[in-house]
Amino acid sequence: MGGERGNGANSERGRSRFRNLWKPYSRVPLLGWFFGALVAVTLERLAGTPLAQFLGLQKIPVLFGFSVMLKNPVLIPNVILYTLIIYGVPTAVATRLCIPLANGIAASLFRFPMAVTAAAHLALLYAILHVWAEISDYRVLVLRLTLIAVMLTLSLNVINGYMGEFSCSHPGFMALGAYCASVLTIGLFVNAQLLGTASLPAALGPFLFPVALILGGLVASFGALFVAIPSFRTRGDYLAIISLAFLFIVKSLIENLEFVRGPRGLSGQPDWADLPTVFLWTVLCVWSINNFVRSTIGKALNAVRDNEMAADAMTVDTRRTKMVAFLFGAFWAGVAGGLFAHVMRYVNPGNFGIQNLAEVLAMVYFGGLNSVYGSIVGAVSISLLGEALRPLEIFKWIIIPLLLILVMIFRPTGLIAFRDLDVANLLKPKPKPDGEG
Amino acid sequence: MRTRSLVGVFVLLGFLTFFPSGWVQAQTIKIGINAELTGDIPKVGEGTKFAAQMWLEDVKAAGGLAVGGKKYPVELVIEDNESKAESAVKAATKMITEDGVLVMVGPQASKQAVPAGGIANNYKTPMITPWSTNPDTTKDRPFVFRACFLDPFQGPVLANFITQEFKFTKAAVLYDVASDYPKGLAEFFKKAWEGLHGPGSVVAYESFTTKDTDFSSQLTKINNSGAQVLFTPQYYNEVALIVQQAHQLGWKKPIVGSDSWGSAETVSLCGKDCYGLFFSTHYAAAGATGATKAFIDRYQKKHGYVPDDVAALTWDAMLLVQKAIEDTGGLTGDLKKDRENVRSAMGRITKFKGITGEMTFSGGGDPSKCAVIVRISDKGQFEFYKSACP
Repeated sequence: MGGERGNGANSERGRSRFRNLWKPYSRVPLLGWFFGALVAVTLERLAGTPLAQFLGLQKIPVLFGFSVMLKNPVLIPNVILYTLIIYGVPTAVATRLCIPLANGIAASLFRFPMAVTAAAHLALLYAILHVWAEISDYRVLVLRLTLIAVMLTLSLNVINGYMGEFSCSHPGFMALGAYCASVLTIGLFVNAQLLGTASLPAALGPFLFPVALILGGLVASFGALFVAIPSFRTRGDYLAIISLAFLFIVKSLIENLEFVRGPRGLSGQPDWADLPTVFLWTVLCVWSINNFVRSTIGKALNAVRDNEMAADAMTVDTRRTKMVAFLFGAFWAGVAGGLFAHVMRYVNPGNFGIQNLAEVLAMVYFGGLNSVYGSIVGAVSISLLGEALRPLEIFKWIIIPLLLILVMIFRPTGLIAFRDLDVANLLKPKPKPDGEG
Repeated sequence: MRTRSLVGVFVLLGFLTFFPSGWVQAQTIKIGINAELTGDIPKVGEGTKFAAQMWLEDVKAAGGLAVGGKKYPVELVIEDNESKAESAVKAATKMITEDGVLVMVGPQASKQAVPAGGIANNYKTPMITPWSTNPDTTKDRPFVFRACFLDPFQGPVLANFITQEFKFTKAAVLYDVASDYPKGLAEFFKKAWEGLHGPGSVVAYESFTTKDTDFSSQLTKINNSGAQVLFTPQYYNEVALIVQQAHQLGWKKPIVGSDSWGSAETVSLCGKDCYGLFFSTHYAAAGATGATKAFIDRYQKKHGYVPDDVAALTWDAMLLVQKAIEDTGGLTGDLKKDRENVRSAMGRITKFKGITGEMTFSGGGDPSKCAVIVRISDKGQFEFYKSACP
């Protein structure tokens, strides 16, 4: 499109034309981008396979063609062309064409209560994800695990970012939630021997699944009490060590519990954590954590982080604040653990170890402390990057840490740190600025 | 001008929508390798990859895989599962739904193989794990097979061997309570031993936790219990510590181990203390003959070290896959049907002569095969002593 070749005046003209091309996009509301993305994924659904074959790719490249490009570098131009034709151009064109329409709809949606507006946007977002993922079961799986990673990262950000403690017990909370939810669902619906009661009819399952998840979250919260209480007296490194100890306690507790089959692990969870369920829980998690950190207690949390003594002097109940934040973060980690167990349909104490901790911490610090945006960006980018670079085998473990180091050098608090997620601002229509006609 | 290029794009897209789907390609057989190439146990993944690539060389040298009188080219789809359960599941889903593999080999460790087996079974794709011993991997999963014997078999084999060889009646067990494999095997051994010699004949049943390095309190108890033999189904690094500490504490009676001893590291860490001890395993590298020797020599020449049991079992798994594909009598080209045919062909395999012994699948996914009792020679080599069959 934009002619960037040439020299002198020509290149100047090219640049200004490019700026003119980009200008209208500053007026696109979120809804407009959603429209554009929906067009792109629908197009892939309709014309993806023939186009991929036309370009010499055997199938639609699943994750934007990373694995194809890494395994067969000759196909790089084809993959890029595919990505442009399917995602780039249609999104740009459709978004550009429906700016007035999108702004109109966004404006009329904006007159409804915020809940309705948000729900409409979320429905559209889900539609995009659904159409995109329907191409392949692999996409569905990656998407589900990525959404769970978002939940985990956000819940850890409450403690490590907003409260400023360095907690290492997150995989422990996750394990508690995973095991509790699994014991309930397996015991009640699959294998009567586990709990010693008769199996319930399977039809009840999907209704009781949220209950199992919430109970898993509550058990994780209860476990968090054991970290929260010592956290009144210790900070920094000491708390990190206490929480690390908690992680090991949980792990060896499960390893020694014959009731949940110890180190052999628990398998056979019913397949209830499908894409809509995981999406819904992620939305709930983002919504509640966003509200939590924007509430008075969230601000109190920041005060505790910046100076605990000053906060105490300013009538912040530091004990209560820390306690609530810990239990709240642990609750969502437990729910995410329960979902994880039902996506994998197998849990093993070995799944919840130091490696898992390192991954979640990397997502939090990569994305940005003290920011809901940052957590989402961190979780999604590290998950997708990890998946896309897997064909590189050992080099992947060099590239991703290197990226982390670079981020830490140039943005020490993460990519998008200390930014509020203001839903109203995000969803509002963007009519023409006053200066222009 | 912009409009014109837009029109161009749409015309192109419209053309593509009606483009007849694809060219006819020569049908290749794809075999997925889901291996632990990075993470906790990279050596296991390396052995898997090397053995699979050696197999591929053979097939390529033969001009492809002959099925039903037609030669098909073979391609390996190697995916790294990072020794993580979720990556194993992702890799399995990817190779089954995206790459369209006919059969999947691996993952090796049970932590990965159990969830990946669930995926393979859901998509009705045959999977064979060379090394996973957890019963859950194949339980109630008609599409999942394994190439190794199971702990419920190995436990009794060892109990019988000790009884016949030494005529002992009192045994002690020392195992890692936090690790899946030693714990299971210790339980099966105890059950078998008590079945032979009556309840209470396991006079000491002591445990420790992964990464413990001091076993003196457990070993003192075992010393005082009057046991005639110590059974310890541990991995090589712990074996060295346990054996050396036992000897320091005055234990002079035999110590017997299981297939987890079968690593070259066992002897290099343990030294002379381990000479003369027995353990059960899948194959004995020293003094091997025939195909087993050929495999070991070739592997050693190419990669510079004696292959351990993972590589040998992977080799057998690849040959099992080859035999199952050949036994189908011809590929239909419909992946779903072919997978089903390969599965039923694999379930029918009897008396398959692998380098780790003769295997027969009788219905389920677990082979009945012989175990080998190995003696660590005075030169530190693993010598074939006798074989024990079900």
